[in-house]
Amino acid sequence: MKYAQLIRLLVNRELTLRYKRSVIGIGWTLLNPMLTSFVLWVVFSFVFASRLPGTQQYAPYLMAGILLNTFFSQGVTISAESIASNGPVLTKIYVPPQVFPISTALAGLVNFFIGMIPLTIVCLISGQSIAWTMPLVIVVGICLALLTAGIGLTLSIMYIRYDDMRNIVNVLLMILMYFTPVFYPISILSPKLQQVIQMNPLTSYLDIFRWAFSNNASATVSDWVFMFSTSALSIIVGTIVFKKFWPRTVAML
Amino acid sequence: MAIIEVKNVNLTYRVLKNRTGSIKELFRDAVKGRVRILNYVALEDVSFTVDKGEVVAILGRNGAGKSTLLKILAGVLPPTKGTCNVSGKIAPMIELGAGFHQEMTGTENVLFYSALMGRDIKHVKERTPAIGEWAGVTDHMDFPLRTFSSGMVARLAFATATDEQAEVLLVDEVLSVGDADFQGKSRARMNEMINGGAAVVLVSHDMNAVRTLATRAVWLENGHVKMIGNPAEVVAAYEAN
Repeated sequence: MKYAQLIRLLVNRELTLRYKRSVIGIGWTLLNPMLTSFVLWVVFSFVFASRLPGTQQYAPYLMAGILLNTFFSQGVTISAESIASNGPVLTKIYVPPQVFPISTALAGLVNFFIGMIPLTIVCLISGQSIAWTMPLVIVVGICLALLTAGIGLTLSIMYIRYDDMRNIVNVLLMILMYFTPVFYPISILSPKLQQVIQMNPLTSYLDIFRWAFSNNASATVSDWVFMFSTSALSIIVGTIVFKKFWPRTVAML
Repeated sequence: MAIIEVKNVNLTYRVLKNRTGSIKELFRDAVKGRVRILNYVALEDVSFTVDKGEVVAILGRNGAGKSTLLKILAGVLPPTKGTCNVSGKIAPMIELGAGFHQEMTGTENVLFYSALMGRDIKHVKERTPAIGEWAGVTDHMDFPLRTFSSGMVARLAFATATDEQAEVLLVDEVLSVGDADFQGKSRARMNEMINGGAAVVLVSHDMNAVRTLATRAVWLENGHVKMIGNPAEVVAAYEAN
């Protein structure tokens, strides 16, 4: 594909540019989730650590949640913004605009995979071993990248048309985080509430991720079905919406 | 052979009256039935062709639709009605350096800008030192763009955009890049590209440039083609207006 090179450059730029002027540079990609997890671990481990079933450990449980949630929420916000922020280019040079949200999702995927390094360390420190199902994490990552890209494509159109969307999306993402078992075990909730949480697709992604990485949660077949169907649906809807509305939206840039 | 073929092109911007861009107000207005969509006609029934080696100048006052027309030619904006066929590689020289990023180095920016124009990165990598040298910024290529002066940025952008022979050149007032020395150099390179068989569309307010460079001129007024033909005649009529 003609624009594969451009996507590679864009992903590279996304990964390096954020930390370009800092001393340890891309090292922050490793350090950030560790620091966030550490703080939350200090705060919440008293409350939640003893509530996890069986041999599950709280530290890797929490960190897996943070890695996945960061991937999703950062991916959605940055890719939704990517079309508007690259407006000056898009109105002068013909580039398929989809390359921008897609590159952002791919950069998020790379960051997510880099995050497996500190997660491994935390797992080993907690006395867990990495499960043989670990390579399945790649599948989870790809599905999440598709989900993110699809939502980002749809939102990027709305961001240009309605300024309010940015604020609405930020609030929705925060609500969504609390409706995902990122830092609490799902078993502490009432059965009713558990059902609600299970309706959130991210819960399935997270369960599969934790289970695949170090058998730190249980995942069912329906989780897999839910994950595959939502990622496929998201990217299909995103592509169609984008194609349909882009010709009229580009005139607003 | 026509490289650019513009046929009955219309472009209508849909503008929301009292557009606020806020969902709340949009909702309120929709409930009260106050949403009015104005159709702003930027171009109406514009047709012309540009052949190999031709330089067509577009004249017109601000708001006549020149920039919109360039966007349509660049393939960025789809026409509302009509067709616009452009065959071959386009070198868009519209606001040079639109793809540049302040935090990236000169070399990285050259690669990135070239990738945006759909060029082969491997080839550009080999060409980068030559591009930097031609722009006269060899010593700065490994520093972030924010350390460049604005003239240096413009020179690097021009050098990158014109490094490969293109079939189509879209030029928006960029002939005045850099100092007198560089202007001479850039004009020579433009001529080189025209002689190499590029079709050029030039938007300019500089009537002297139009008279000397163009082989044909199109005068746009309020989105219509008012006059098309010999540049000397069109310029004379335009200036008399």
